[in-house]
Amino acid sequence: MAETVTITIDGQQFQVPKGINLVDAAKMSGTDIPVFCYHPKMDPVGMCRMCLVELGSVVTNRETGEPDVDDNGDPVVRWFPKLQTACTQTVSEGMVVRGATQRVRDARDDILEFILTSHPLDCPICDKGGECPLQNLTMAYGPGESRFVFDDKIRLDKHVPLGDLIYLDRERCIQCARCTRFCDEVVGDDVLAFHERGRRLQIVTISDPPFDTKFSGNTTDICPVGALTTADFRFGARPWELDEVPSICPHCPVGCNISASTRLDRDFGGKKVIKRIMPRQNEHVNEIWICDKGRFGHHHARAEERLTTPLLRRGDEWVAVDWDTAYSEIAGRLKKAGDNVAFLAGNNLSNEDLWELRKLAHRTSNTPRLGVWPAFMTGADAVAQAGVGTGTRLQDMGPDSAILVIASDFEEEAPVWWLQVKQAADRGAKVVVANGRPTKLDRYATEVVHYEYGDAVAVLNSFAARARSKNKIDADFTARVDGAAELEAELKGTRVPFADAAETLLDAEDLVIFAGGEGLTLDQHRELMQAAANLLLLTGHAGKPNNGLVPVWPGANLQGAFDLGFSAETTAALADQPPTVWFIGSADPAAEDAALVQSLANAEFVVVSTQFMTPTAAHANVILPAQSFAEREGTFTNGMRRVQRFYTAQGPVGDTLPEWRIYANIGARLGGDKPRISAALVMRDITQNVPRYAAMAYPALAAVEKQFPDVGGDDLYYGGTAYTNTGGLGIQWPANAEDESARLQVRPVQLDGYQIEGLFAVPVRVLYDRSTLFEQSEMMHTHVPEPFAEINNQDAAHIGIVDGEVIRLNVNGAQHLLTARVNGQAPAGVVLVPQLLSKTPIVIGPAACAIEKIGE
Amino acid sequence: MLAEKYADRIEKIFSKYPDKRSGIMDLLYLAQEEYGWLSEDTLREVAALCDVDPTQAHSIAGFYTMFSEKPKGTYWLQVCTDLPCALRGADQFYQELCAYLDVDDGGTTSDGLFTVEQVMCLAACDKAPMLQCNFHYYENLDMDIIKGLIEQWRAQAQQEAAE
Repeated sequence: MAETVTITIDGQQFQVPKGINLVDAAKMSGTDIPVFCYHPKMDPVGMCRMCLVELGSVVTNRETGEPDVDDNGDPVVRWFPKLQTACTQTVSEGMVVRGATQRVRDARDDILEFILTSHPLDCPICDKGGECPLQNLTMAYGPGESRFVFDDKIRLDKHVPLGDLIYLDRERCIQCARCTRFCDEVVGDDVLAFHERGRRLQIVTISDPPFDTKFSGNTTDICPVGALTTADFRFGARPWELDEVPSICPHCPVGCNISASTRLDRDFGGKKVIKRIMPRQNEHVNEIWICDKGRFGHHHARAEERLTTPLLRRGDEWVAVDWDTAYSEIAGRLKKAGDNVAFLAGNNLSNEDLWELRKLAHRTSNTPRLGVWPAFMTGADAVAQAGVGTGTRLQDMGPDSAILVIASDFEEEAPVWWLQVKQAADRGAKVVVANGRPTKLDRYATEVVHYEYGDAVAVLNSFAARARSKNKIDADFTARVDGAAELEAELKGTRVPFADAAETLLDAEDLVIFAGGEGLTLDQHRELMQAAANLLLLTGHAGKPNNGLVPVWPGANLQGAFDLGFSAETTAALADQPPTVWFIGSADPAAEDAALVQSLANAEFVVVSTQFMTPTAAHANVILPAQSFAEREGTFTNGMRRVQRFYTAQGPVGDTLPEWRIYANIGARLGGDKPRISAALVMRDITQNVPRYAAMAYPALAAVEKQFPDVGGDDLYYGGTAYTNTGGLGIQWPANAEDESARLQVRPVQLDGYQIEGLFAVPVRVLYDRSTLFEQSEMMHTHVPEPFAEINNQDAAHIGIVDGEVIRLNVNGAQHLLTARVNGQAPAGVVLVPQLLSKTPIVIGPAACAIEKIGE
Repeated sequence: MLAEKYADRIEKIFSKYPDKRSGIMDLLYLAQEEYGWLSEDTLREVAALCDVDPTQAHSIAGFYTMFSEKPKGTYWLQVCTDLPCALRGADQFYQELCAYLDVDDGGTTSDGLFTVEQVMCLAACDKAPMLQCNFHYYENLDMDIIKGLIEQWRAQAQQEAAE
């Protein structure tokens, strides 16, 4: 434990870490100090006055430096004449606190009576009722009846939309400023503020768009009353009817721990259904935050469009069949296909699904083709070597740390990591953002590098060259690294165009690199990941916590797919050698890649397991209805290689099955074993066959430990309604660099840029898109833009187009009508094309393009 | 627009502070001087100049009683009715003033000449009842004195209108 101090609370002595907040220290010691405005993840303000305590300190003799003692030999305590707010106190040696005295109790009663003067008594219809800090503290404190005149009660608006996701009830607000401080301190979007003062104080926004941060839902968790509610859950259910089921968000590589609040629902055939998604505390992953995509992106699990029975193509029609018929049809085809089949795994299949898909593939061929989708990022071998150390916590990164985010629009691709990196920057961590264009993280960056798309690898490689020329090579570490000397020789003489950025990174004690895939070809991306590993291994920034490489994969479980033998290179090779039979697991390549649409159309037989009728499924001969993350158990491996369990939250839709079971059933018809009876047993098979996953048995993944801050539990006032983690913190598999006996490898990287003349299109990722699952959350549709292309201002002026105009984009031999955005974001010569804003593929990688003005 | 009309003054304001957002109070005063009050559009204009979110400008304008987010009369009478002033009769004075001008709390007279409102402490408790008219202090008031002042201001306004 770090340095500690001894404090006395109500006569009992406790050792607590030096420098922490008194409310936190009391909480750690098992004493609750009630709070409304204080939140352990934000700076204290001392606004609500609920945390008043009697506070004293030991009197130190100025001459001797020893504590003064009274006649009995006890230290003399000097008490503050008035009660103090505990939340604004930092613990110090000898601090004495009394929280259980009548004086304190009276003060808290008075504060509560004051807070309640105009608070409405609408608990019976309030969403927060049942999990409300104010309700709970009113039961514990307060006079029971008010002396204020009811007729003087202030009446205010009860349904104020702060944007279209969050509603404000002005009467319920107790003006704790948690929401405004969250927006300001944590997120950095100052879109909520107080207006007026005194009794007229109100939360307002006049921002445009209004309350539209990607994290707005979190304010409803930390709101200590029912003033802020989500459009999703508002009047949806009562908290006490809900069962909390631990789960993992299926939308991005962060792997946020979530809690699915479920209940038996009339509107869902009396089965269990998800009513809302709440964050679940995991201080190694998402702390207590989730983004709005995770919070509001669960509706796909119960969407009416869900496929409920296996479908067989008969001519132009789909015929619903039973599972046996579907299995027999597929098994017969696979038997004949032999090596002529390709297996494509989507980015949110669970590890269990992937394992059974792989087993099925190996049953059809000795050298099966196992591809992932999407397939624009690779470099799992670099991650295996130099991946971020186990035990990494972004919230521990501060002034001694540096973070490089390269080739990623971080807030759009991994919002909660963005949030944590932004907060690290606030704490003094050096953040370098490198991309071909400005992104939102630039605001918080120490150094911003805007390279020309195509030069990403060269830029990262030059950082390693700078490490060499500035003697930042860690010789002790490189003794374990094969090829280090050759690489150093190769780096000699490399030009370093962004020397300040390089040195910002190299001067730090800890270094984490987040590598995305924006603007890179697959070959370049392999080199980018290697260049990242080179830099980290040469400088010894690997093999320990808060150091190493984190890939910003697209999707929740691409890491798992790579771990279990699937690869992006295999997918890329399918373009040249298309198989005659496709077996696609929950992927929708036809919505993203025009070339694959053709291959699918030409194929003899296509099997797709999916939850929805996607453009890819439309090419299928057999469609297998799959279960969503909500209806089954499984595990995802996040971008930091943490394997995390999700649990069954809702009843199954129709005849759907978990994909691992579907694949195992087909395998059984090809002579394989009977399917396992549970996902846990599939994972047991994985632990026995995949060395990295040896420790990932379900009981181990379910292990929890006490986390700080101790949010959740019954006292909701402390951290809000983020839930205690009861489902498991997950386990990270260690990178090779962490094993001191392991040899590591580096190699010089290929620096080739593009060979594209003139204007070229770069696909970019946006958070709110029309991907298969997220598209089903209709409430978010207003946040999904119409398909657009961002065009450089000069280029636009040259072609004669203005912001908002509809243009024609010619790319890869196809034409697309898109709305032009001319807003200074796109670099010269580049057209930024967001992916998946429609179901029509546009570009999948950097490609030459032309823009045409559409005649008047 | 402020940016064009007062380019020099704005530059001078910003030069006083380490970052632009610190200049927001000065700019809000400037905007109020120019437009008479702070409309939502004005708040957006100032926020853009200071590089902050419009909501923050709105919040600041709402907190300080010296800023007005509503159109005001020619004479803006702000009476302090905080506790020490009230003990010296300021609240009763305020009510009588409202009655005399025939306006509600915070209202403007029908001729558009006077706006009256209550404000928080103006740091002149010992001379209450007191008010500030367009930021000038008038102290140790009673109804006779204020009636005289009001006649003066009316006459002044008429004279200005005649010119």
